[in-house]
Amino acid sequence: MHANNNNAALRNLAALVDFSNLINSNLDPNFISNNLIFTCLSKFHTSRAALAFSDGQNVLRISSYKGITDQTAKNFPEVLIGDCQSSNVLKNYLEENKFSFGKLIETPRKKIGVLFLGKKLTGRDYDEDDKSFLNTLLHIASSAMENSLMVTELKEVNRNLDAKVNQLSSLFDLSKEFSGILEKERVGKLLLYSIIGQLIVTKFAVVICEDEGFEILETRIPPEILKTALSGCSVKNFTEPKTKKNIEQKFISISKIGIELVIPMQIKGATKGLILLGGRTNNQPYNQSDIEYVSSLGSLAIISIENGRLFKETLEKQRLEKDLEIAQKIQSNLLPDKAPYMKNFDIAAINQSARQVGGDYYDLVKLDEDRLLFAVADVSGKGVQAALLMANLQAFLQSICKQNIELDQASNLINDLVSENTTDGSFITFFWGIISDKTKELIYVNMGHNPPLFIRDKKIIKLKEGGMILGVMPTIIPYKSEKIKLNTGDKIILFTDGITEAMNTQGVEYSDERLEELVINLSASSAEETLNIILNDVKVFSKGAPQSDDITSMIIKVG
Amino acid sequence: MADFNVSTREVGSVSIIDVKGYLDAHTAPDLENEFNKLVSGKQFKVVVNFDNLKYISSAGLGVFMAYVETMRENNGDIKFSNLKDDVYNIFDLLGFPVLYEFYKDENDALAKFKLQD
Repeated sequence: MHANNNNAALRNLAALVDFSNLINSNLDPNFISNNLIFTCLSKFHTSRAALAFSDGQNVLRISSYKGITDQTAKNFPEVLIGDCQSSNVLKNYLEENKFSFGKLIETPRKKIGVLFLGKKLTGRDYDEDDKSFLNTLLHIASSAMENSLMVTELKEVNRNLDAKVNQLSSLFDLSKEFSGILEKERVGKLLLYSIIGQLIVTKFAVVICEDEGFEILETRIPPEILKTALSGCSVKNFTEPKTKKNIEQKFISISKIGIELVIPMQIKGATKGLILLGGRTNNQPYNQSDIEYVSSLGSLAIISIENGRLFKETLEKQRLEKDLEIAQKIQSNLLPDKAPYMKNFDIAAINQSARQVGGDYYDLVKLDEDRLLFAVADVSGKGVQAALLMANLQAFLQSICKQNIELDQASNLINDLVSENTTDGSFITFFWGIISDKTKELIYVNMGHNPPLFIRDKKIIKLKEGGMILGVMPTIIPYKSEKIKLNTGDKIILFTDGITEAMNTQGVEYSDERLEELVINLSASSAEETLNIILNDVKVFSKGAPQSDDITSMIIKVG
Repeated sequence: MADFNVSTREVGSVSIIDVKGYLDAHTAPDLENEFNKLVSGKQFKVVVNFDNLKYISSAGLGVFMAYVETMRENNGDIKFSNLKDDVYNIFDLLGFPVLYEFYKDENDALAKFKLQD
């Protein structure tokens, strides 16, 4: 009997040493749990055992079990480790599943878990020896378990860190790449690849905000369905990330097409686009870190897209400027190089555009050996539109000149032509006349232009005869022409309002009076000299102020 | 500049894509092109051999995500083989093993396709 007891004690001791060596040589919690369970099963002759560990919230979770079904393990009730002795739910569960008792596993610092053992197959209860053996066993196991649990926890922390590092390197990778791309389609693609690769999702879309609507950049949802779903949403509602719950409550149309995360792409707090993601293929919810990742990527992408847009705009602007330069060349080619020779007339003219292309125009066309047609015009508006209308006017004028019709008739005709070709309220102030070497006569028609100054013997006559402004409506009241017999020394000053309305820095206009006073005393000057004196006077007057309108002037002096 | 190379071989009804070098945001479009060619040629059974791949970024992984559904909808699949440990770690970290089949050798992947035929 005594020898038997000794033998039993020796066996126990050997088993304990064995067990201790084994579990302390391994950090895998499953390995340790399994060994603990198997040792108990064999030592206590029971067919069932289960091991539950306390999780982060101190709730018991079954981790290993033998002799019970998976379903039984799943049915394990939710019990706090602190309540494991008192919980009735747990007591019922244990009785129902033929467990005999549960024994707390603890280290000096904390409670780790509980070992549950089934009834002995021998039918006997656990005696004192059994209990003290179990105590020793659990004591040895507890420190090994704590170590292994800590290692597992560290591994988890490490893994999370790795994931974070991976996200960061992916962000870095993309920021490098985005800075070099200007096509938004490519940016959209890379953005998506980086998101769906990192988060494992196959349903997605990227849209760019345009005015009140959305432009689809990338989508794995049929575009029509996406458009319909988005049509009820305003950009203003997306100032921050929207998660599944929020979308289900407030954006039903988007929720219906399976979108579970909406991230705004923002520049300086303004939403410029949206990233829409469906559920993850691995059914994991999106966590804060995922949302931050997508938001960061979105910001990078939208800045790149915006840069691309600005770059395109700049290119377009440069192209436009190039076009204007060409237009300017074409336009200056439309003006006559120099005045045709006339025996009895001295002629000078100039055109200075305030912009690259202008709306002022003058022309000198030799009708035959004897006669010269001259014209000055100011097209309403400025820039390309005015320049185009001016080019039209010149074409009409050139073709009418070949018709050999009377000037008043020609005026009716050119007004009809211009009226038909202006639709947007544009008009032209126009003056034209014909001078003849043989008869030394002037015939003119004024169509709403600043009346040219006819100077004879230091007296000014304004040439006002004519009719309505050119191009406002088809000719109803025919234009009237006036004929003037010319004397040597007579001078005609034609100009546009760019001269009389030129402003100085105080905002005062040059004025008709100042022009009249200036030219009345220039009877000795040639046409060229007169022109230069006028231009110079305007320049002196408006010194420092920018030229706001085109300046055109023509001087005809009768010899 | 890190290099990337992609080429495709046909073995029976399966296309094997060999990727080499660094697969990142910069080179992802090359891989995308390769997949586009396969899809337009109605080749839906794909093994990607990573034997010579040194690095893969999220953008690279995204290309596989973008095409896997198309392949599977057409009775095909994208399977991965010959991954170096550090490359596999990235796949593992992002949870890809749940969704894709990984093989030590491309022949194992080919054999799996044969079984499914």
